[in-house]
Amino acid sequence: MNIDKYPELKPGKKYIKRYYVAIMLWIVGRAIQAACRLDKEVIKEFSELPEKFTFSLGVLPDGPFMIIGKDDKGRAKYMGWNKGRTRFPLEMNIKSLEAAIKVFTFQEGTATAFARERFIVDGDLGYALAVVRVLNIIEVYLLPKIITKLAVKRYPRWSEFSPLRKWVNRILIYIRAFTF
Amino acid sequence: MILPKYSEFCGRVKTLSGASALEAIPGELKKMNSKKALIITDKGVESAGLIKIVKEAISKKGSKLTVGAIYDETPPDSDYKVVNSVASIYRNKNCDSIIAVGGGSVLDTAKGVNILVSLGGDNVLAYSGAGAVKQRLKPLVAVPTTAGTGSEMTLVAVIADHDRHIKMTFVSYFLLPDIAVLDPRMTKTLPASITAFTGMDAMTHAIEAYFCLGKNPMSDTTAFKAIQLVSKNILNAVKNPGDMESRLAMANAAALAGIAFSNSMVGLVHNLGHATGAVCHVPHGVCMSIYLPYGMEYNLHKVGDLIGELLYPLAGPEIFAKTPKKQRPRATIDYVRGLNEELKKATGGRHATALKDILDREGKQMVPRDAIPVIAKNAMGDGAKTYNPEEQSFDDNIMVIEAAWEGKPLDLKKIKKGPKNQKF
Ligand SMILES: [Fe+2]
Repeated sequence: MNIDKYPELKPGKKYIKRYYVAIMLWIVGRAIQAACRLDKEVIKEFSELPEKFTFSLGVLPDGPFMIIGKDDKGRAKYMGWNKGRTRFPLEMNIKSLEAAIKVFTFQEGTATAFARERFIVDGDLGYALAVVRVLNIIEVYLLPKIITKLAVKRYPRWSEFSPLRKWVNRILIYIRAFTF
Repeated sequence: MILPKYSEFCGRVKTLSGASALEAIPGELKKMNSKKALIITDKGVESAGLIKIVKEAISKKGSKLTVGAIYDETPPDSDYKVVNSVASIYRNKNCDSIIAVGGGSVLDTAKGVNILVSLGGDNVLAYSGAGAVKQRLKPLVAVPTTAGTGSEMTLVAVIADHDRHIKMTFVSYFLLPDIAVLDPRMTKTLPASITAFTGMDAMTHAIEAYFCLGKNPMSDTTAFKAIQLVSKNILNAVKNPGDMESRLAMANAAALAGIAFSNSMVGLVHNLGHATGAVCHVPHGVCMSIYLPYGMEYNLHKVGDLIGELLYPLAGPEIFAKTPKKQRPRATIDYVRGLNEELKKATGGRHATALKDILDREGKQMVPRDAIPVIAKNAMGDGAKTYNPEEQSFDDNIMVIEAAWEGKPLDLKKIKKGPKNQKF
């Protein structure tokens, strides 16, 4: 029997969408690293995670991914995109590239995406929630209000997110996320 | 009706419901090739005589099922060490299935035991978190003895690590029991006040499922029916505990609500309820009945229309038709408050409607005023918040808990409101 007559089906390549999501993941990863040196809340969230904690955020079945770990000082460190076969204590994956596009074009906020079960979480749910809270803060920093408003339940008021803190940190996060 | 762009639903528990449902267990287990069951339960259930009823029902003539062992020392707060030792009983006695008879803690323990005996190992904590259990487990029969938690229909187990003072969550579709048995004999002896607050827990599951972010047509259907059944039967079950029809209706309601919320998730009411339970050790259902009207008020500006729809299953078609559409959301909330008041009367005041009025067995206040900030802080780390339509900050939590402590309705003007166009 010629086994090659029955080819294995692999998911299509979808280059543009993959590149888009890969770039977004890179930006978010670098921004988390930057915010963990500037934003009180992000610093606090990370300080409460266990030592040497690492998590990956990515898209199934085969990427792209982004890996964040805690460095010796307990701060977030962007650790690249190559997940290989490593298993992390927390892995949060979006089920498909199509769903990832919805999330990263901000048509779906994180809460809605969770409610629609777009994410598969492998690992401790408490840690997953901490990561979600960090992602929500990052969203406010990275995106203009008009877009963030679509993705969050309620845009933080000035009192919750002081303008000074927002603008100063926003500029610094931009600079640090995009410079090597 | 809301049809989300994408949703998921899974409710695959075979349900046996009726006055002699227990007797059908051996036949069901036989189909799954099981001959020897381990019964897991607690002292309360045992001393109420329920295990005797179960044993008699499953060893009637023709039954090939034997009971390998009965473990009746499940603590009120499931513990991983207990899970580990019950798993070794299962192995020593060569059992091949589990029958869990009890409330939430017993069910959680049984789910944990099932993980260990099916997948191997001697510490259940190795499987904690989401996604660690990836294959079918041994046959598990759930026999709930309260009509409330709905855990016979859920994919979650919460097991505490009392040394580290943390609760570990286990999530997998393989944790769903194979069979749920809803037999009114199991809830007949439940005291009035417990019937009242566990019933309101089921009501909360259904109502929150109807307006929280994971809602979909299938969870809506189960939620709707659950609300109808609770609303029609809860007072009668409290006043006439021996009324088997009301008991069966409540058991069905709790199971339906369990299906609804495990697919649509819950929000603020459970979020603050979990925190209040954790900080002040108040029974879950008590927190639920108190916070429920506040959960609706808090989300009114986002999902008022959905809350208005609930007047139909709560109050029936006449009242629904007579109430103008605009007034229905408010009428729904008032109806729930009214029901709580009636339950308070029917239980001789034991069904508290404000946090400040919750008393323990010695008559001592359980939620002191200065616990409010601690509860608000604790709630920030609880997952149910994710699925609540409106955002919840620490200050928001304080505002809601303070109102619930006094038992005064929320001042709607004080709620910080996000945009109305709620996406599901
Ligand atoms: Fe509940």
